[in-house]
Amino acid sequence: MIGVTDRPALTQAPTQAPMQVVAIARAVRSGDIRARDLIENLLDRIERLNPSLNCFSAIFADRARAEADAVDALVAAGKDPGPLAGTPFGVKDNYDVAGHVTTAGSLINRDLPPAREDAVLLRRMTRAGAILVGSQNMDEYAYGFTTENAHYGATRNPMDPARSAGGSSGGSAAAVAAGLCSFSLGTDTNGSIRVPSSFCGLFGLKPTYGRLPRTGTFPFVHELDHLGPLARSAADLATVYDMAQGHDAGDAACADMPTVATRPYLDEPISGRVAVLGGWFDDLADEQGRDAVARVASALGATGTVALAGAARARAAAFVMTSASGGNLHFANLKARAGDFDPATRDRLLAGALLPANAMQQAQRVRALFREEVLEAFRHHDLLIAPATPCAAPLLGQPTIPVGGRDLPTRANIGLLTQPLSFVGLPIVAAPIRNGRMPIAVQLIAVPWREDIALRAAAQLERAGVARGPGEMA
Amino acid sequence: MTGDEVKLLASMAGLVIDPAFLPGVARNLDILLAQADLLFDPSVDPLVEPAPVYRP
Repeated sequence: MIGVTDRPALTQAPTQAPMQVVAIARAVRSGDIRARDLIENLLDRIERLNPSLNCFSAIFADRARAEADAVDALVAAGKDPGPLAGTPFGVKDNYDVAGHVTTAGSLINRDLPPAREDAVLLRRMTRAGAILVGSQNMDEYAYGFTTENAHYGATRNPMDPARSAGGSSGGSAAAVAAGLCSFSLGTDTNGSIRVPSSFCGLFGLKPTYGRLPRTGTFPFVHELDHLGPLARSAADLATVYDMAQGHDAGDAACADMPTVATRPYLDEPISGRVAVLGGWFDDLADEQGRDAVARVASALGATGTVALAGAARARAAAFVMTSASGGNLHFANLKARAGDFDPATRDRLLAGALLPANAMQQAQRVRALFREEVLEAFRHHDLLIAPATPCAAPLLGQPTIPVGGRDLPTRANIGLLTQPLSFVGLPIVAAPIRNGRMPIAVQLIAVPWREDIALRAAAQLERAGVARGPGEMA
Repeated sequence: MTGDEVKLLASMAGLVIDPAFLPGVARNLDILLAQADLLFDPSVDPLVEPAPVYRP
């Protein structure tokens, strides 16, 4: 068994203040806590800790105070301030915030006009009573897994500031893990919610492709981009997800599906057939990842192993599609001002812009085949389990990570275990397992449109003490 | 992939790449092409539908 160590203070919530969404909303709605007091406490904590962690790229203190006062006024008037009342949250810097430029972690986007309105998901959060405190650091244009941004600096992991918080939603994850907000909204194209959840010890949800509208966010790869939350508990994740659901015509890829409430059913144990993903997902995991999967498999009663023969090729296709699509999206700026990109992003986007069309077409074909293979696996199983990352958080600047007995370049290979799965749009919850000095997450993978199964599995693991977020109180 | 080959490809794509960027682009293009090779071996039936399939 791999030993567990105590968490250092940076991951603890502010003293005397609840940090979990459910607890805050309950306290604020009942009048036990004023949203304004909570926000003042939090802004002070952000001012103290953010300079060293670099989670937030912008703090919206005036807006947060105004929203908190509005929540408190509703409570005072006997009106319902909403299910997320008073809950502080942040958004990755590729979400539009009215009046602010959406940089997407770039210098280039600073030349864009400020957003005229909030992104749709952000609006849904504030309508439910949540309070936006800031936008969060990310890899440039979401193209990375470490949040080592050449323009805005690296985000540090609150559990060990020498280590990566993961990416590309690294600022979003580190802020939640450090108790600088209760939840964050991030994006996941190839693993950018699940990887930082793994490195920072959080619960993260990448819903089914097309489930949540991306209206008002800056794209990366249109056909792979997903939005989703990162939170401190399964209940928080489900609560936020429920508020985020609903069709929006502003995103052409958003499916017009009925909303499916998950929070009320979170305590129901899952009763379906559970299996572990072997092959690629076992071969590329390290000892800690395998141990985490074994604990989860035991707790959920997994009965078998499934090998997806097409996983390696699906990952390659996702890799190709990402570079080619990114190169296409940014082609005009690559042509006119390539020197203004983060060098790590620039060289990959330029390479993607030069890729033969033949490869892109074949990637589409590979995706169709892999989707059928995955759907066949789901005819026999309701939930699949796999590690989220090949290892726990590496050091910032660490050039290689050990993968399957070899040392491979860090940035290109952290997403090996997430990429094949988001490539076919599956709903996945990353559940944090604390079985080492740093945590590692396990992916709970459900059939398309059944986020509820993955969320219930995460809650079951949390009740069993197998999965654990940063906790509630200091 | 050499810097000259990258320059040739770039000119066909309508891009002019700063010479200082060529080694990084060449390195990344090599990685990309190696990944692309995996998509063709073993071969895939060319009649497999590559377009997204919409089901009601």
